[in-house]
Amino acid sequence: MKRPLIILIGAVVLGAAIFTGSFYASQRATVACCVKPADDLDWLRTEFYLSDAEMTHIRELHEGYLPQCAEMCAKIAAKKGELESIPGTGTNLTAEAQAKLNEIAALRAQCQAQMLQHFIAVSQAMPPEQGQRYLAEMKQLTLGTNELMEQSMSDHAGHEHGTN
Amino acid sequence: MKENHNPAFDPQVSALLRAARGAPTLPPRFEQNVWRRIEAAEAPAAPAAWLDALARLILRPRFAVAATAVLLLAGIFAGTREGRQLARHDAQMNYLASVVPHALR
Repeated sequence: MKRPLIILIGAVVLGAAIFTGSFYASQRATVACCVKPADDLDWLRTEFYLSDAEMTHIRELHEGYLPQCAEMCAKIAAKKGELESIPGTGTNLTAEAQAKLNEIAALRAQCQAQMLQHFIAVSQAMPPEQGQRYLAEMKQLTLGTNELMEQSMSDHAGHEHGTN
Repeated sequence: MKENHNPAFDPQVSALLRAARGAPTLPPRFEQNVWRRIEAAEAPAAPAAWLDALARLILRPRFAVAATAVLLLAGIFAGTREGRQLARHDAQMNYLASVVPHALR
């Protein structure tokens, strides 16, 4: 009775070890072979089946967009610095701080619009079908998270109203 | 010569003897109890039998080699699939990190 049970348990353990070992080994090998961290645009090439000519055009757009993006980031960072340097008045928000917050929000909106404009330009450099897919995915990845947050906040507020 | 007369071969005597023996009365639920005891005696042997058969199967070299090959291939297939998903996700995150400004994250 005992010996067959030991054989069975040993076989299950050995089988699990073989499966797990081969799973992780092949997973690591695939990740190591497929990810090229040096090239940020590698995902576009593989995901949207782009030709060399399309990639060259997109790379130009990307390199043109990066300085604009960095400039906006610097502006937002500077405004944040200004907001932090405003002397606090205890628990109240001053008019000056409120104005800075509005300026930061306006800069963020401008930055987001610029980013969306870049996505549109990149999508137009792709074959139409792939371009649409790219735009939809980028909107979902960049705006979707904000929408989810807003949705959860409004749901939360709704629940609070419901309980009151 | 006197005839050899054995009373055991006499049908009348035999019938009388059978009637005199009488059938013993069985205890109540005798038959059910017998079957229950037979089943109880057989029950522990059943799991050991299938375990033994399974262990014998596992120890067969053909089965062991086949099972190892199947598990190895299944692991490689699932790992490659998962690795592709991970690689795609990593590459996507690399791209997003390059185009989405820090201020918007």
